[in-house]
Order: sequence, then C-alpha cells, then structure tokens
Amino acid sequence: MLKVFSRPERHSLYARQTFNEIENLGLKSVGIVAIISVFMGGIMTLQVAYNMNNPLLPTTLIGLGNRDSLILEFSSTIMGLIMAGKIGANITSEIGSMKVTEQIDSLEIMGVNSASYLILPKILAVVLIFPLLFILSVFFGILGGLIVGPAVGAVSLPDYLQGIQFNFNPYYVTFSLIKCVVFGFLIASIAAFFGYSVEGGAFDVGTASTRAVVNTNILILVSDLILTQLLL
Amino acid sequence: MIKISNIYKSFDHKEVLKNISKEFKKGETNLIIGRSGSGKTVLLKSIVGLLEIDCGSIFYDDRDFTSMNLKLRKKLRQEMGMVFQGGALFDSLSVEANVRFPLDMFSMLSNAEKQKQVDYCLDRVNISDSNKMFPSEISGGMQKRVAIARAIVLNPKYLFCDEPNSGLDPETAILIDELVHQITVDLKITTIINTHDMNSVMEIGDNILFISDGEMCWEGNRKEILSTDNQKLQEFVFANKQYQKLRDDKMNE
Repeated sequence: MLKVFSRPERHSLYARQTFNEIENLGLKSVGIVAIISVFMGGIMTLQVAYNMNNPLLPTTLIGLGNRDSLILEFSSTIMGLIMAGKIGANITSEIGSMKVTEQIDSLEIMGVNSASYLILPKILAVVLIFPLLFILSVFFGILGGLIVGPAVGAVSLPDYLQGIQFNFNPYYVTFSLIKCVVFGFLIASIAAFFGYSVEGGAFDVGTASTRAVVNTNILILVSDLILTQLLL
Repeated sequence: MIKISNIYKSFDHKEVLKNISKEFKKGETNLIIGRSGSGKTVLLKSIVGLLEIDCGSIFYDDRDFTSMNLKLRKKLRQEMGMVFQGGALFDSLSVEANVRFPLDMFSMLSNAEKQKQVDYCLDRVNISDSNKMFPSEISGGMQKRVAIARAIVLNPKYLFCDEPNSGLDPETAILIDELVHQITVDLKITTIINTHDMNSVMEIGDNILFISDGEMCWEGNRKEILSTDNQKLQEFVFANKQYQKLRDDKMNE
C-alpha cells in the first residue's frame, strides 16, 4: 500500500490514466447498473405491495419502502457486491495478465513504480465513480417501481409519487455515500492486490480473480455491518 | 561496463546461481548462454534487480547497484532498456504509444521532439507503417522489434535482452540479432543477451558466458567456442550436427 500511495513520477500521466479508468471501470458500468436497478426497484415495489395487504396501511408506503430500501441498502451494498464481480474481476485479471506476461517487470525496468502507476488510478477512479453509480442506481430503481407498480396495479401512480417524496431523510443518502466510498476502495484495492500478487499463468489469473471477488464480497458485508452500526 | 562478482541466488533453499563473476564490456554484444533451466534468466533478472541476489555485488560502471536504495535504483533504471522474451508490450497501447511511453514518463521533451524520437526508433527497427496498430495485431517478430525500439527510446547505457529471438523464424531471428548488435556498436552501450540459440552465438557473440546448472563453466568469444575442450560446453554447442561439421572442418584444416 505504501508503494501504491508513493509520489507519482509524472502527475499528468497519472491524471490521464485516472480519467481512462473512470471511463473503463465507471462509465462502462452505467448500462448494467441501470438494468439491474430498474428490475431491483420493480421487484421491490411488487414485494412491498404484496406484504402490505392490511387496508389500514396507506399504499403510499409502497413508494416510501422502495425508496428507503434502495437508498439504505440495495443501491449501495447490493450494487457493491455486483460491482465487486464486474469491476473487481476486471482489475484482477488485467493486472494479473500484465504480471504473467512480464509487462509489470517491463514497467519496473523503466524505473516506473508499477504498483502506483497501475493501482492508484484504479482506486481513485472507483472511489470517485461508485457514489455516482449509487445515485444513478437509486434513480433507476425508483423509476423501475414507477413503471412496474402502476402497470400491474400494485399501486396507483399518484400514491407511488407521493410515497417516494414522503418523509425523506437526507442523512440516509449521506450514510450511503460514505458506504460507497468505502466499498469503492475495498473493490479496487483488494482486486488490485490479488492481481499484483499473481504468479504463474492464465489459470492462476482466473483463480486470483475468483478469490478477489469472494474476499471483496465478504469484506463489503462486514464493513456494511460495521458502518451501519456506527453511522445509523 | 557491468561487473558482477560472486553472485549467489537461491529459491526455497535450492541454489540456482552459484558464485558467478563476469565483466560485461561496453560496445560489445555480451551473451549469456546455457541450456533451458540453467539459470540464464535468473541471472539476467538478478543483474537488472528484478530479483534480489543472496550475496555478491553488481556494478554499473562505478556504481554499486546492490547497495543502492530504491530511489537510486529507479534513477539508474532510466539508463536501462530491456527486451523481454515475449516482448512485454503494453496491450492497451498502440505500437507508437508503447515506444512513446518512457518518453512521456521521464523526458521533458516537447511533443514534437518526442514524436521525432519515436519515429527515429521505429525507423531504426524497420517499422514504419504499423504505428497505430496494437500489439495483438502484429506478428511476434514485429513485437520484438517494437520492444527493441521501446528499449532504446531513452538512449540507454545498458541494454538487456532475454532470448530476443525465441519463437521466431530463422530469418527474423538473424534480423533481430543483427539489429541488437548494430545498436550496441552504434550507441556504444553495454548489451547483455540471454540465448540458447547457437546461430546468435556464432553471429554476434563478442563476449560469451556459458553457465550450466547455475555455475559459470566457460567464458570466451565466438572464435574460441569451436575449439573449446570444456566438456559441458561441447555437449551444448555440438548438439547441433551443423556445428559438429564446422568443428571437424576446422580441425582438418
């Protein structure tokens, strides 16, 4: 880690690399985040509606339930687990392949701090982009509920719209943004660590990717538990 | 000039290099030869510092590499160029960007000057129309040539090549050998090449070190190699019938 956060050789090159990583790891994940979130929001709306068969409970709670579940847990933690698979495996396999094909040795021979050059931009990119993906996920999740809920008759459109605006607590968003920064750091750093320590060939790169994803998922859940206890 | 003295290296208590000493001369093509698994690559990687030696010393001219801290080593490495066995070009960068990378990282040249230097190096290795292609789109021989261009773009004082012509057809292998030899002579740099290719040895071997089972067995030049009485070297060199014939012809003369 000390090597990763040491002073870059050329700041402009690192900045360019960070923007490339934001595009590769972040912007190229927008599609999958949108698709998953729309379905997640739609399914959540149906399940909340299904469990609210008491006539004393107003149907506006369906929108509220969907919104708060997305903000507090689904768009941060579930998205974190999914991104650990997508972004994490990508990082491990990319760095691992560079290791086994001597590209990392090649950087070292040039006098480049390979750990810093390859890992730091990825960590910065994921930490910066993950909170934005979270906000997009909440938006698409609420949109999913808006489409599915009224379409199947689980909730009327005005009730859903009223529900998603009712009793909004901005701190929930702050809490989840903090989680996203932590999850982003975990995803990029654990995946990079496993990639950078690969020895062998293609088989070992595959094994390292799997181990990186499993370890990241476990650490995301553990840190979720700790952060929830500390911050809520 | 690179001077190594009494180098030992082991992995998991198994000695891979045992007491190797040698002076690699400037302006000459220095070869490390030996069978596969004899310790050539470990020796080369130890010399450049990719592997830490157990004991011994490595001097780059008058600078003691083994006692240098990381910062000094990084500075010295900017004077090195290395061609890896598989080329080790960056997959995500085009041919031109690969060659330009060390300049972007370390030089203070303007963009136009960098471009001029990149064009010169690519021209030097006879690559001119594949600048925008990616490593996966060019042949193995071209990848090696691009790797050589990248290795020389910062005008290094020391050039290292790990089996530069492995996996190449004989014609391309000779071209690569000649290219490295020419660059060594023209730029007056210290070049060390790892190889087990006898054609390379006979073509460009100015100063040869033969290692077997991690031990230094013989040193000399390409003229002396044919008349050697070293048993292990004879087995290595004359495994090829062509060289047996060459030796017999020489003896008959």
